[in-house]
Amino acid sequence: MFIQIEPTSEIPIYTQLANQLIELIASGTIKASEALPSVRSLAADLGVNMHTVNKAYHELERKNIIEIIPKSGAIINSISTKGPSDMQLDLIKLHLKPLIAESIVYGMDKEQILSLTSSIISEITEG
Amino acid sequence: MVLSLFLVIILFLIVMQAAIPYLLKNTIVFGVTIPEGHTDDKTLVRYKKTYSATIFFIGLIGLLIYVIWAIGNNLQEDKIVFTGLILQFGILLISMGLYLYFHIKTMKRKRDHKWGDNLKRVRVADLTSRSNDEMLPSLMFALPIPITLGLIVYTAIQYGAMPDMIPTHWGPNGQPDAFTAKNPFSVIALLLILGIMQVMMLAINYFTKKSGVKLNASKRSTSRIQQLSFRKYTSWLLFLVSISMTILFGFFQLTTIHENLGGPTFMMMMPLGFLFIILIATAVYAFKVGQGGSRVQLDIDEEPIAGVTDYDDDAYWKAGVFYVNKNDPSILVEKRFGVGWTLNFGNPIGYLIIIGPLLVILGIAYLLD
Repeated sequence: MFIQIEPTSEIPIYTQLANQLIELIASGTIKASEALPSVRSLAADLGVNMHTVNKAYHELERKNIIEIIPKSGAIINSISTKGPSDMQLDLIKLHLKPLIAESIVYGMDKEQILSLTSSIISEITEG
Repeated sequence: MVLSLFLVIILFLIVMQAAIPYLLKNTIVFGVTIPEGHTDDKTLVRYKKTYSATIFFIGLIGLLIYVIWAIGNNLQEDKIVFTGLILQFGILLISMGLYLYFHIKTMKRKRDHKWGDNLKRVRVADLTSRSNDEMLPSLMFALPIPITLGLIVYTAIQYGAMPDMIPTHWGPNGQPDAFTAKNPFSVIALLLILGIMQVMMLAINYFTKKSGVKLNASKRSTSRIQQLSFRKYTSWLLFLVSISMTILFGFFQLTTIHENLGGPTFMMMMPLGFLFIILIATAVYAFKVGQGGSRVQLDIDEEPIAGVTDYDDDAYWKAGVFYVNKNDPSILVEKRFGVGWTLNFGNPIGYLIIIGPLLVILGIAYLLD
């Protein structure tokens, strides 16, 4: 269960961290009701500011992916079986639309975009 | 007696100082992060060899001159002690000078050859490392403290029967050679110092436990196992020091209360035994575990991950030895040149736990004079 961040990347560290955690959950590497390391210890392991980790955890909590319980820490929620809520679907669409538009501008056709998407899905779920 | 004691200590110092480049992770050479793929660079290998050989031979020659001079002139003990200490400082000073020289040369070599410029610089953490950490619980370090408290109570009970002069310093033969007048403070001063050191070691264990588990980006599994071993053995070594110090100081306290407790042989053997246990344990730790566990031998042979290297935090290491990083929540961090831990000078709590107790101990020593 390795987390890898790139401090010099243009993507903020907290976003990188949140994205990696989501991927680990999506691939089933971290399972529901497991606890994430404490903010302090993960910040120490990565050598980053505690606020950075805290921000990533709160982002995950806001997205309903983890639950922050005082004293016990950050607990992973189970993957939803009902599918996304309307609000979550809107959010996904909001993020996905500009990326798909960008792909079209780069000259990708529907086939290419779909096959890229499906290869990313297998990359995540097969770990 | 004093001479052979110094001979052992100085020889130990020379071997340790000369061995340092070989006890470190190979990704950090003279305090400079070296990306995977360049760690076997011939020039760097030569730097290490030159450093070790220089210290080893200068040290041995110094030691030889010292011994011949001491034996030939049939010197007084205090002169032997004084010169021995000078020699130790001399060796440390030469090591530091050589280190700095090679630190600058290594930095220049890395810069000139643009090592690692085409690699992605990342930091890696393992989410499970905390649950696999086998450091001793800090509670274990609290165990010797009640012994100290018990001895203070016992001293208070025995106060009336104690001699008028309390020993404050013991010579190399185990016999007291400095005294101070009896008063409620001087009779327990030794125990107060012991107590402070016990608390300090408890704090060191607590804060090393909290400090980051730093993994090598391109060899994750290997470095993870090595890191965890390093942490485990560090806390064992610290615990051994705490226990043996409690035994030694407790013994000294009891001989102060009951003058003829151990007899002269025992008085001599106790500190010697203490010294040898610490020296041997330190040597085993340094050579078997190495800095960050770099000498822990593993059966697995992990292929380094291509295209990535550790995020270069050289900028936070002043001269490659002093770590100053406000953002890193670790108070104690692994040394870059040497085996063990050092302070994050970017964090004021660090000063408090290390320098505070030392000041109190110095204060007690000053009050006894």
